[in-house]
Parts: sequence; C-alpha cells; structure tokens
Amino acid sequence: MRSKHLYLVVCGLFFCSAVLVGCSKSDPNSGTGASAAGSKFLLTAEPQNAKGIKEARGSTQDAEEITVVGRIGGDTDPWVKGQAAFLVVDTALKPCNEKDDDACTTPWDYCCDSDTLPDNKAMVKFVDANGSTVATDARELLGVKELQTVVVQGKAKRDESGNLTLLATGIFVRN
Amino acid sequence: MLRLLPWEYGIRNLLRKPARSALTLVALATVVLLILVVVAFIRGLETSLATSGDSRTVLVYSIGAAADIENSSIPARTAGLLAASLEGVGEVFEQRLVSPELYIGTKVQTIPDGPGMFGIVRGVTPATPLLRKQVQMLEGNWPGPHEILVGKLSAAKLGCDPGELAIGMTIRFDNRDWTVSGRFAAGGAAFESEIWAPLESLQTALKRQDISLVAVGLAANADSSDVELFCKERIDLELQGVTESAYYAALQQHYQPVRMLGWVVVLLVAGAGIFAGLNTMYGAVVGRVRELSTLQAIGFRRRSIAISIIQEATLLSMAASLLAATIALFLVNGTAVRFTMGAFALRVDSLAILVGSSVGLLLGVAGAIPPAAKAMRYEITEGLKAI
Repeated sequence: MRSKHLYLVVCGLFFCSAVLVGCSKSDPNSGTGASAAGSKFLLTAEPQNAKGIKEARGSTQDAEEITVVGRIGGDTDPWVKGQAAFLVVDTALKPCNEKDDDACTTPWDYCCDSDTLPDNKAMVKFVDANGSTVATDARELLGVKELQTVVVQGKAKRDESGNLTLLATGIFVRN
Repeated sequence: MLRLLPWEYGIRNLLRKPARSALTLVALATVVLLILVVVAFIRGLETSLATSGDSRTVLVYSIGAAADIENSSIPARTAGLLAASLEGVGEVFEQRLVSPELYIGTKVQTIPDGPGMFGIVRGVTPATPLLRKQVQMLEGNWPGPHEILVGKLSAAKLGCDPGELAIGMTIRFDNRDWTVSGRFAAGGAAFESEIWAPLESLQTALKRQDISLVAVGLAANADSSDVELFCKERIDLELQGVTESAYYAALQQHYQPVRMLGWVVVLLVAGAGIFAGLNTMYGAVVGRVRELSTLQAIGFRRRSIAISIIQEATLLSMAASLLAATIALFLVNGTAVRFTMGAFALRVDSLAILVGSSVGLLLGVAGAIPPAAKAMRYEITEGLKAI
C-alpha cells in the first residue's frame, strides 16, 4: 500500500514537470524577462511572412504596416539609453563570432561587414499611444539582448535617404 | 605624568648647527616641491579635461572616428538636420544651440618662414561660445573673414612667445595668413589652447565642405538620448552622439596611465625624501648621544627625549613644506604645459598643498622615529662616556 502511494507521488511529479516543460516550449517569450509594462508588446506566437531587413529597406513604403525579422546589433552599442529602441541587422549577415578565427569581443557590431552593414540595418522603436518612444530602456522593457533574433510588427517610417525605422507595436523573440 | 622637554629646546638645537639645518631644510623643501610639481601636473590635466565637458551639450560626430573628433568627417547639412529634427534643442537669445565645427590639428607658423608647430584649430560660428559657457573674451573682437581668436594657452601649445599671438599679429596655417582679432580664456578648459577661426573661412582654406562635429545644447526638458536616437535612426549619416562630459571623461581614461605614473613618481620621490631625512636625523642624533644621555641622567624619560627629537625633525620638515608651497604657488602654479591635445596650466590647488604638506609631515615624523629609537637604546653610563 505504501509503495503504491510513493509510485503515485513520483508519477504526479513527473506529470507536473512535463506540463511545465511543455508550457515553456510553447511560449518562448515567457522567459525573456520583460517588465510588466513591456509584456503588452510581447507576441505569443511568431508572426508569419516576416521580411528580412534588406528586403524591407528595398520595398517598404512610408506608413506601411510590416513585419520584419532581424538580429539585435549593428553597432557596438545598438541600444538607445533610456528609450525602448534598438538597431536590428538582416539575418543574412553573420556576426563576427560566427565566422572562423574571430575573437571579437563585441560581435554584435558586425564590424566584419561594415561595407554592407548600412543597407542591412534598421531602427526599431516601441511607441506609445501618442506616437512617442517609450521612455524605458529596451533591455529592461522587453528583456532582450544583443544578437537575439526578433520578429517585429509595426508601421514603417521612411525618409528621403532610404533609412527605415519601425514604429513597433509587437515583438516575438525567436531565440 | 610624562615630563616633556621644552619646545624651545628643539628650536635651539636646530639653530645650533645652522648650516646643517639649512641644508636639510633645502633638501626637504626640494623633495616637497618635486611632489607639488607632480601633483600640480596631475591636477592640471584632470581639471583641464573635467572643465571642458558639459553634460547638457551633446557632440555629434562620425562613428568611424572612434573616440577622436579630429578624425571625424560628417556632412555640413547635419547641423541643419539636427536643428530641424530635434525638439529638445536649447535656445539662447533666439539663437538655436547647434554649433557646426571643424576641428583640425595643423602646422602653425607664428613667424614667417619659421619651422612652425603643431596647433589645434577649430572652425566656429557665433553659436559656439553660446554652447561653451566657460569661454570669455579677454580682449579684441569676434573674428571676421581670415581672422582668428587665440586661446590663453595657445602660445604654450605652439611653443612660441605670447607676443607673436598678440592682437593684430599675423600667423600662417593651411597656406593662408590669419590675423589675430582677439584673445579668449575658458576657465582652464582644453579650448584655451585652441585657435578659433570662422568656420566658412577655414573650410575655404582647407577646400573642405564637410565638418568634424556638431555640438548640440539641450533644452531644459530634453535628454541626450533624443540626440542618440536621431543619430541611430539616420543610418546613412553614420553618426554617434556623445555628451561632451562623457567625451572628456573617456579622454581622462585615455590619460589614466599618465596620471598613475604621476602618483608613482610622488611615492618614489616621497620614499627618497624619507631616506634623505633619515640620513640627516641619524647624523644629528649620533653626534648628540652624550647630550641625550645627560638629559636622561637629569630625569627626563626616554620617551620625552624621543618626542623632542621628532618635534625637532617635524619643525624642520614643516618649515620646508611651507617654503616649498610658497615657491610652488608663486613660480609653478599656472605654468602652461604642452601635451598632445593642447596645453594646460599646472594647478597648485588645495589638494596639491594637502598632499605636499602631508608628505612633508611624513618626512619629519618617519625620518626621525628610527634615529630617536636608536638613541634611546644607549645605556646612560655608555652614552655619557660616548665621544
């Protein structure tokens, strides 16, 4: 009788663990460390048909709703201090640490591709209802860090020089 | 109750052999003066860089320039773009605080056909002094075409006679003659070693249309991150925005090894000074063994005699510190020193005096304790028989 109880307890613990692991796999954004204010920007599922940064720079019109995918980086400091904004780079470019024989301490600056970097880079900023950039550091707000691949939804802002800024309303952190 | 020897005893002892006391005084004063000069160098360098930066001014320059604005080249339209795009730009006398500047290092000839020296030239507009609030005109006028303003320390930077940069004098750089129209000071900031020329005249002389940087003064409700955001959004311009205080703080870090070396020199000089003091005091004590034993014989305790010896040495070292501080204040303070970025004035400030006097005190006390201890080890009977 006693061994039967023990067997049930072990089975119960195993079941609970499996459920917890399963839950965490189904929602990768739940473990990003985003703040309460930032959680409203986190998407629970990855949006489909995301464009690469280079493609988006080439084809997107001003004020167009788009979804882009990129990796956080493109500068030694891709963040804007105290604001929910950061730079993203096309996933086609490899950061320096993913290339052979490179011991770069800031691989997210993509210094190995400085010639092609400007055409593969865009700014992402999270805006509030008034259109102002949220005044909280993106790392703190969204729990993101350098070189993470992110899928971002929002409205494109273009200028006459071809720069692309995404006024973001949602983000999915792929890894 | 410990009965101390009278204070005058130490003073009279110093006057007993005036030549030896005077030589020791000069040696100790030299040590303290050396320390004051090194500390004044460190303090001058620190102050020059610290007072140059304003946390409400943001320098916008090229990403490729790393941490050196001299290597920066950005389009001249950047200033207009910043003024038009940023809401948080400050305004003074209806003038927006946006200052496009060209910053170059070039060979400057102060006398015709002279060899010339490396100088720092900044192309400026009337907005520049509104942002650099430390700047004060000492004499003369704001420069017109092909005229220049010279900083208070620019003669030191160029290694020339200050008379060669007097108002009305002509100097030559970048294949053009420039007439000095005025002089300015900047409260010890790095600008004081610069030559300021009108931006357009300098661009014409250099055949350049670009600029090195734009200095942006922030309005009261604005934050430097607004400028940073603009720089990162304008990917095509490849800009970076750094507060002026952060820029000069980074330079302070660059000069950290020099400052550390300075403090090592202070320690080494102080160490050498202590050994010199020890040597002198040993000589003074060894020659007075009989006298010190006599004092013990008439009832003074060893501790009282040791205190008297330390008093004597401290009196001498503090007199030396006073002498060294006076010389430093009158002859060293304000002396211009040239370095890569410009020139700065040696600063014998309160910290320098504190360090110098503390070392002086240490020389006296630490230099007297071992000889005093040695003197106290003699037995009275042995000491009285000593020659």
